[in-house]
Amino acid sequence: MARRKKQNSYDSASLQKSNFKRHLRRYWQLYAMMVLPLIYFIVFKYIPMFGNILAFRRYRPGMGPYGVKWVGFKYFKMFMQDPAFWRAFRNTLTISLGNLIVNFPIPIIFAILLNEVRNVRFKKTVQTVSYMPRFISTVVVIAILGELLSPSSGLINNFLQSTFGIKPIYFMNEAKYFRWLYILTDTWQFTGWTAIIYLAAITGISADLFEAAKIDGANRLQQIIYVTIPSILPTIMVLLILNVGRMLSLGFEKVLLMYTPSNSQVSDIIDTLVYRTGLANQNYSYATAIGLFSGIIGVILVSSSNSISKKITGDGIY
Amino acid sequence: MEFTRGVYMKTYRTKGNIIFDVIIYVVMIFVLLICLVPFLYMLAVSLSAPKAIINNEVSFIPVGMNFEAYKQIFSYPNFFKAYGNTIFYTTVGTFISLCMTTLFAYPLSKHHLKGQKIAMKLVVFSMFFSGGLIPNYLLISSLRLTGTRFAMLLPFAINQFNLIILINFFKSIPNEIEEAALIDGLGYFGILRRIIVPLSKPALATIGLYTAVFFWNDWFNGLIYLNTDQFPVMLFLRNIVNGTSMLGDAAGSADKATIAISIKSAVIITSTLPIIILYPFLQKYFVKGLTVGSVKG
Repeated sequence: MARRKKQNSYDSASLQKSNFKRHLRRYWQLYAMMVLPLIYFIVFKYIPMFGNILAFRRYRPGMGPYGVKWVGFKYFKMFMQDPAFWRAFRNTLTISLGNLIVNFPIPIIFAILLNEVRNVRFKKTVQTVSYMPRFISTVVVIAILGELLSPSSGLINNFLQSTFGIKPIYFMNEAKYFRWLYILTDTWQFTGWTAIIYLAAITGISADLFEAAKIDGANRLQQIIYVTIPSILPTIMVLLILNVGRMLSLGFEKVLLMYTPSNSQVSDIIDTLVYRTGLANQNYSYATAIGLFSGIIGVILVSSSNSISKKITGDGIY
Repeated sequence: MEFTRGVYMKTYRTKGNIIFDVIIYVVMIFVLLICLVPFLYMLAVSLSAPKAIINNEVSFIPVGMNFEAYKQIFSYPNFFKAYGNTIFYTTVGTFISLCMTTLFAYPLSKHHLKGQKIAMKLVVFSMFFSGGLIPNYLLISSLRLTGTRFAMLLPFAINQFNLIILINFFKSIPNEIEEAALIDGLGYFGILRRIIVPLSKPALATIGLYTAVFFWNDWFNGLIYLNTDQFPVMLFLRNIVNGTSMLGDAAGSADKATIAISIKSAVIITSTLPIIILYPFLQKYFVKGLTVGSVKG
């Protein structure tokens, strides 16, 4: 009896094994397809992830990308005492917060108003044109901005001078305009694109609701306030929470393009600090430590905002 | 029925509604202008005479129309080189990316495949936590890719968002088609090439466009990894704007500044033109990505 049992268990193990073999034989082509992409993910996504251990090790040029000696939290202690880090941290938060306050509501308003346009062709045209800036390179956006705001020949300064007699202003060089320029170029680039999500939500509202509101004598503004906005509120909530989760990731390339020594007081963000200390000054370990720190805060923010979103609205991004 | 229609008509034609309509149209025309004016201004400046630019006469219509700036940038070998580089990175990069993304998305769309869930987790995790700038840079240099064109292509072979869009699309293709092909003796490679890919043209067009726009617009990776003769056109433009590189050696130094302005504008226009021209034809694909792929494993 006991022997038979043993025999059985042996059988089931070998059965499983042969099952897997059959699975492999049947699907080997699917596994073969995955080989190159998996190598890609390991090399280009996961090895850099492990490369973050450099934050705890001293780097020596020519001695490999993982450093030569463990130093513990030395670099973390160093940047925690570095005023430049705290300045960058503050700047990152200030710009993100300003960006959120200005650029979160604008696409919602735009989507609601666009939905009220009754001429279908005009509506399509506005929509098409409005999300084109999303596909324009940041380099081009900032180059055009520089031309428009140029103190000698720019359209804006010409206008200010001829209409109000204001002396040319060096918008791109003065620290006090930096945040506004960052925020408004984001408005220009992303309003139309972000509005697509809200437009989709508005299209999903049942026509009966509007019909009922009309019969109750609601004018169009009242329909917006009592039907449209409450109906898309869940979408608004999800996007708000997710945007808060992404607070630490600003448009690094744009900031780098707009960065000048004279506006560095407000324009130096965490990413540009990492870039400068790491690649320009080659303090690799130090910069990796700062990058890792903000990366981990970012992960915590995104995943906690996502679970809050799931709890409140039953919807998240993953 | 008659009654409701009467109420409907009444509310429709009230003064308030007409004012409402006017306000909406004014706002929408304002939005249109805001989106278009920067390009019109650049176009006008690039086509204007230097004298008109100096005297601040140019707004949206070229003054003293001429093609001098364009002639000049097209006579400048570095510009051609950079433009050619960008076309190379865009076509080859997009091709590699489409191949790799398709190869990965197809097996990942099969729930019953053993290991599919682990591979999916690997992908999703890498969306939320990445190596960061310095480890990536050190990886590229330790692979000896710095200063080669591969540095612009290989690290971006698969974008996780595009991958998920494609996986979701593949999942929506009915299984029966595939089963019939399997019975006919076609292997999975054959099915992918002859059935799945032709059926997925809209999804492939969508992610192909996203990828192409990414490669066309990229400059930062060029800045940290490439040599001057490998620069893409966006980095070239950035260097002109920065003043780190000069276009042409304008004879009179007094003219230099204004010539630089019209040339800068000409570079802006020519480097953005492909996107602006193709955009109206492709925009339905651009938007599709948002509706096809909700980011869910």
